Amino acid sequence: MTQNAHKRSGIADLLEAWLPKIILAPTTLAMIVCMYGFILWTGALSFTKSRMLPQWEFVGFLQFEKLFANPRWDVALSNLVVFGFLFIAISLLIGLLLAIFLDQKIRGEGAIRTIYLYPMAVSFVVTGTAWKWILNPGLGIEKLVRDFGFTDFEFRWLVDQEMAIYTIVIAAVWQSSGFVMAMFLAGLRGVDDSLVKAAQIDGANAWQSYWHVILPILRPVFFSAIVILSHIAIKSFDLVQALTGGGPGYASDLPANFMYTFAFNRAQMGIGAASAMIMLFGVLAILVPYLYSELRGSNRG
Amino acid sequence: MAIGRIGIYALLLAFAAVYLMPLYVMVMTSLKDIEEIRQGNLLSLPESPTFYAWVKAWGSACTGSECEGLAPFFFNSIRIVVPAVLISTLIGALNGYVLAKWKFRGSELLFGALLFGCFIPFQVILLPMARLLATLGLANTVTGLVLVHVIYGIAFTTLFFRNFYVSVPNELVKAAQLDGANFFQIFRHIFLPISVPIFTVTIIWQFTQIWNDFLFGVVYSGPGTQPITVALNNLVNTSVGGKEYNVDMAAALIAALPTLVVYVLAGKYFVRGLTAGAVKG
Amino acid sequence: MGSLTISNVTKTFGSTEVLKGINIDIADGEFLILVGPSGCGKSTLMNTIAGLEDVSSGQLLLANEDVTDRSPKDRDIAMVFQSYALYPTMNVARNISFGLEMRGVPKAERDRKVEEVSTLLQINHLLDRKPSQLSGGQRQRVAMGRALARSPRVYLFDEPLSNLDAKLRVEMRTEIKKLHKRLGTTIVYVTHDQIEAMTLADRIAVMKDGLVQQLGTPNEIYDDPANQFVAGFMGSPPMNFVPCEVAEDGSIAIRNRGAVVSLKVPQSDHLKGQDVRKVILGLRPEMITEPKPERSGEWIVNMTMDFDVTEPMGADTIAIGEWNDVEVLARLSPEAGLSAGENTSVQVDLSKACLFDPKSGERVR
Repeated sequence: MTQNAHKRSGIADLLEAWLPKIILAPTTLAMIVCMYGFILWTGALSFTKSRMLPQWEFVGFLQFEKLFANPRWDVALSNLVVFGFLFIAISLLIGLLLAIFLDQKIRGEGAIRTIYLYPMAVSFVVTGTAWKWILNPGLGIEKLVRDFGFTDFEFRWLVDQEMAIYTIVIAAVWQSSGFVMAMFLAGLRGVDDSLVKAAQIDGANAWQSYWHVILPILRPVFFSAIVILSHIAIKSFDLVQALTGGGPGYASDLPANFMYTFAFNRAQMGIGAASAMIMLFGVLAILVPYLYSELRGSNRG
Repeated sequence: MAIGRIGIYALLLAFAAVYLMPLYVMVMTSLKDIEEIRQGNLLSLPESPTFYAWVKAWGSACTGSECEGLAPFFFNSIRIVVPAVLISTLIGALNGYVLAKWKFRGSELLFGALLFGCFIPFQVILLPMARLLATLGLANTVTGLVLVHVIYGIAFTTLFFRNFYVSVPNELVKAAQLDGANFFQIFRHIFLPISVPIFTVTIIWQFTQIWNDFLFGVVYSGPGTQPITVALNNLVNTSVGGKEYNVDMAAALIAALPTLVVYVLAGKYFVRGLTAGAVKG
Repeated sequence: MGSLTISNVTKTFGSTEVLKGINIDIADGEFLILVGPSGCGKSTLMNTIAGLEDVSSGQLLLANEDVTDRSPKDRDIAMVFQSYALYPTMNVARNISFGLEMRGVPKAERDRKVEEVSTLLQINHLLDRKPSQLSGGQRQRVAMGRALARSPRVYLFDEPLSNLDAKLRVEMRTEIKKLHKRLGTTIVYVTHDQIEAMTLADRIAVMKDGLVQQLGTPNEIYDDPANQFVAGFMGSPPMNFVPCEVAEDGSIAIRNRGAVVSLKVPQSDHLKGQDVRKVILGLRPEMITEPKPERSGEWIVNMTMDFDVTEPMGADTIAIGEWNDVEVLARLSPEAGLSAGENTSVQVDLSKACLFDPKSGERVR
């Protein structure tokens, strides 16, 4: 047995020690360039007067001023608030309700859950296309209800400037509420049985035990769901393109659609970049406090 | 309380009907001819069901200036999805393995930075990525789209695998090290054999995400390389000579079929993937 | 062949120094046990010996070769883990031969080794099973088999018996002792169970706070502890510690039942001239017994004590009394018919009394 047989064979062992870092290197590079680097690039671009091509002439906050002076952006932002609020609130409500009902030892629960969740498996484009047909003024819901006897029924939201954004809410809730249901169901299943029994002994009826005992325990699930739904709302692009195309006119535009239109169709990179940065800040404004409170919580608990 | 139970079932089934309604409508509409669509309503059954719409949607419907149907775009999507899913999953598996069992100074920070990137709205990278693809000569190509999907899918796949591998006992790795196994041998003999569930979840998740993507598709593809979601949108918005709603519905169903089939067959893995990815994040 | 020298090994994690300078010379074929409370560093030391952790400074010599920088697989050391760490997707046979497989040993040789080892450990009827299909005791044997198959120069055992129930633990203890006799290979063994340490070891290293408090044979550790910690850690029920004052003539004062008794201890002569005022008297419970007329000597003292509580343990009764306002345990034979209460006659044997410095805990000789 010679000494050399066991000596670290220089290169091979050195390589092995560095292997973990070597493996992560491409991902790290991609992350630095394609995430953080790109964000900086877009940010920088938003301070230039770029139009069809990037022009590195800095103009301060000009693009942001133009952005917020743009009536279409105004509409997009207020649409986001309306849509976001309704989408999140209704999805939470429906998701919670369905989860509570499903938690009552239902026969066929598996099948019902499958039905509630399948909308998430399809693309937002498919969803938009389907609902575009369902809400078709003239041949969709309007005709259906009229055929049932309500001959004066009108449903033209899709082409109504005021109401178009609500069609997006309907389709989005249809697609995502099943997911919220799944989250709440998982949360409910994690609640200790003995807590409910204690509440019952204390004289609470079903309603009260849910409101006072169970729902407070589900607070973390509420927050997770809100963060995820907000994220979906802010990123909503596909659905709008497919369902209304942002129309009529730009009445149902959302920031993501605005960005796409200006950056790629209208050759207005500067404004497009500015709108993208505003979207980023919107996401961060929700994400950062959430993460902060999560980390604080786990350090304490 | 029997009435209460009936009420619960009634509500649940009512919602089930609402969730199923669009699917039902799509199928019914796709099997009718145009006259029937105008005469009947959303819920009425087709009197003489026909596959005309399906055939046209697949082979001859117009998606903008071409009228080749969805078929070529269906295959575009396959050409994009298959490599993107495989590559992003494999990279995620190795990354997850390193982050779970071969931590080094800064690796947790790296993981955090990666995770954070999951949440950015993609609008902030659309423009610079377009420049990058152009520089690499990959603008409007399938390869370019694959690259984009791989890059932005790695954060999720890494998260899935890392969370899964963290639960493997450290002593198992130590025992294998003492037994003389190196980095890759430990991965091959110890980790891979137990990884079937997580591979399933990750592949289903990635397949669904990438097949259903529209944003990257519409920005980074060109004529001839568009995925099916883009083609579908074009088809529906092209009204050459009157709208054919039955064709629109058939087209939407064709686009939705792969992910729906996967969901029906492997649904529980899908759900696990959803909650694992979302709740942890 | 299998001698192991640990020389000034330190290990720091971040800002915490877990090992503060360990020096242990293990002879070839010796059974050395590392024992100590949680957090003393014994598992960390094991990991550095195995090469699973690097040392921050110091040297490790295996059969006089410097292995400090060698990777685990090149050290010819095998380890049995507390949780056994069996590969869950492999059957018993492959678990045992995996190490050989990684080293490129040909199949025929591997099979032979598996046969040999599994027969020795009586598990050859389990070769096709997976770990999840085995009982705790069987898994433990497979873990040992995996180590044995490698025929290493040193075995490391990391608390291998702590996951077994009491009866199985005693059985396996005997098996391990027999194995050591048969193989004659160096064993380094970690446990927090001091009975295991006393019964199995050739020598024991008692550790606390990253340092070896004492290294010696079981008898040395038991009868001649280096400090108060070692004295209190080894032995069950634990040694009595009574703070006493030292008189001019070297005797110590015990206040028993209100009256002060002057006791002469083996160290008294040495203490006479010194300026030591306070010590802690260490006396094991078995040194306070019922009167045994057949025993006599200059260190035997007879007295009466009051006992508050007794704990019958079957073979002995532990009685709790008081000296110098401190609880004192005595070991009385149940046949002597004594019960708790006042005026119980006892015999105190001071020949093995230890004295400790109250501040440092070190032995005062």
